Amino acid sequence: MRRSERHSTTANRRLAWIEKYRIFLLFAVIFVFMSVFAPRFFNVFNLTSILRMVAMNATVAIGFTIVLICAQLDLSIGTVITFAGVIGLSLKEPLGYALAVPIAIAAGAMVGLFNGVLVAKAKISSFIVTLGTLTILQGAIYTITGGNTVSLSTPDAFAVSDFLARPLLPLVTPRILLMLGLVAAFELFLRRTRTGRNFYLVGGNRNTAWLAGINTDRYLIAAFVLSGTLAAIGGVFFAMESSAATLRMGDQSLMYVISATIIGGTAMTGGKGGVFRSFVAVLALEMLYTGVILFGLGNEVKIFIAGLILATVVLYEAYAFYKHQREIGKRPELVRELAVQPAAAGEGGRADP
Amino acid sequence: MRRMVSMLAVLALLLAVTSGVFAAGAREGAAVDGAANLEASLAVDTSGLLSADGQPLVRVADDDRPVPTRPADPSALPQTDPLHWYDMEWAGWDADKSTIPESPRNGAIGRRIVFIVHGDHPWTTACTLGAQKVADAYNMELRALSPNWDLAVQNQMIDQAINERPDMILLIPLDARTAPQQARRIHQAGIPLILFNTLPDAAAMDYAITWTGPDDFGQFRLLARTFADELRRRHPGASELGIAYVQHAPGGSPYFARSWGPVSELAGYAPEIKTLDMQAPGFEADRTMQLVSDWLTRFGPELKGIIAADDSAQALGIVEALRRAGREDVVVVAAGNSKVGMDLVQEGRLFAITYQTAEGDGALAVQTAADWFNGKDIPMRRNLAQHIITESDVGDFYPPQW
Repeated sequence: MRRSERHSTTANRRLAWIEKYRIFLLFAVIFVFMSVFAPRFFNVFNLTSILRMVAMNATVAIGFTIVLICAQLDLSIGTVITFAGVIGLSLKEPLGYALAVPIAIAAGAMVGLFNGVLVAKAKISSFIVTLGTLTILQGAIYTITGGNTVSLSTPDAFAVSDFLARPLLPLVTPRILLMLGLVAAFELFLRRTRTGRNFYLVGGNRNTAWLAGINTDRYLIAAFVLSGTLAAIGGVFFAMESSAATLRMGDQSLMYVISATIIGGTAMTGGKGGVFRSFVAVLALEMLYTGVILFGLGNEVKIFIAGLILATVVLYEAYAFYKHQREIGKRPELVRELAVQPAAAGEGGRADP
Repeated sequence: MRRMVSMLAVLALLLAVTSGVFAAGAREGAAVDGAANLEASLAVDTSGLLSADGQPLVRVADDDRPVPTRPADPSALPQTDPLHWYDMEWAGWDADKSTIPESPRNGAIGRRIVFIVHGDHPWTTACTLGAQKVADAYNMELRALSPNWDLAVQNQMIDQAINERPDMILLIPLDARTAPQQARRIHQAGIPLILFNTLPDAAAMDYAITWTGPDDFGQFRLLARTFADELRRRHPGASELGIAYVQHAPGGSPYFARSWGPVSELAGYAPEIKTLDMQAPGFEADRTMQLVSDWLTRFGPELKGIIAADDSAQALGIVEALRRAGREDVVVVAAGNSKVGMDLVQEGRLFAITYQTAEGDGALAVQTAADWFNGKDIPMRRNLAQHIITESDVGDFYPPQW
């Protein structure tokens, strides 16, 4: 192999390595930069606060990642967050948390089931279906609440909230623990079980997955059910910690989670990505946002930076996809052989006619 | 899997090291010579400061309404009864201030204050400007943060503010009902808190030194009477006068104060006025115009008046719908004194608006903070002075603040 080819191969390997670990590199760069330069970033209070802040969106991102791995979209996650929070707190006083929380989570799962069935069985675009669900749920939320924030007025209003925010270990509260547990469980499920890996197959190529004997409809429905369930878990626990559920509490999560999941490396074309990467991306974005505030910059700067990162990643993804499409069917070793052959033929003394 | 475990382990190690090395929230407040600072601070006079409209910047109400006795269960009363809204309208008058820290009585000069508003809006810009004017007078360091109407971001900003350990936090709660938890968190961190502008649920007042801002219920009761008088003047002897409400965003205190305040006031003051509908179309002129056009179709000549929560985009949508329908006989009143609202009053298309000084709102909050550092007595609530602007005096309030 020529020196230039060796260099090219090494550079490609480096690029591939950077691409593979880009979210961890981004996380490390942001963490180190903020720790060194952002005032009061590197302390227990702030880091606990960051982990508390990501607890909801990281939980929601798990489900969204699974949907995206299946090459689908779930735009209803924000309203499911609010819906579950509203249901959970509304039912707390008559039923207690022991029943209210499972009912709220089940409501999120039902929304996911509705989305999944329409996408898988009625073959309607997930964008349209979940946009419709989003609108229906917004109406339902206003009907249930009469336009009012739901809050707890019982004497123990803050007891659960205090419990969820109480540090068990440095930096770890019960809510953070729940989030970490879910991330670990779903990462294991997707990577280490056949069922989990089948989600990648379905997202990578639905026809091939079907030909391989996978019930693709069932996997699509399951992905939406998981998305709804996890959005509901995120919403209901956020509401419990806040002791209140506002009518727009999940509105900002949609863009946040989509950005983080894509930045984390889950391909919009499906078949690629991971829950742990999405979690690290949520964490990286939150650190970035916190740093922006600590630097004294406004919310608009935060939105700008988040948009810039997302745009860069999407552009890169588009380029990588284009490159991949160009390379399909090509055999690099054959191209190399062909490039070498004429020279060799010339050296051998055999002249072309 | 192994990779994930190692990544988690590295992450955990990083965070654990962090927790071991840094103690949370080392207080960074500058050392201040108490007596000299107090003396200099007490000598600061802000009474000469003016807002952009030429009005005095700090306008405290000196004619507060008498506080009624709380009913045993206000929610059991009908919504048309003013006392149904007792816990919102009079939030804070019976608050338990036993755990509120005592004033250090060492002066306001050089204090660091974090000023957390609700979102980006021209009103907020004017409000922050007013706050800055008073802060400058006391040489205070004022850091303004805006969560852009996002509760999660506001909670994050509260955490960041606590992390900074300022001398005080001033907060406009995004939502009345989430305010108690926010106020409690700040209180637990040992940082003095003043709530301002939007009224929180009564429970939040236990954790704050005080609340400052417009008496939204009071202003709207005043506006409702002016509105009723005008309706009676235009329709003398009418047995029924239909009106509708364009509401504020659901959740915050203005949503209730600017619709249920006048409803409950008019039920007693002008019972012939009937509510036809109430809707919250948001703050876009086109959506409001659509809503009002629908009302005109639905209610026809029955609709005699509209009370709006906002005198800019909402008011524009209302007057445009009325103009297109040729129904300029409908009496319209609204909250606030934006340039749009004042221009519409001057043109006679809005009958009246409340004088809700944006600069004064921010200024009063910072002034109250300074008074607390100076050891002055702080009342349970500090309201801005009330006034209703009509065509006859709108000229006194130009140029507008926003």
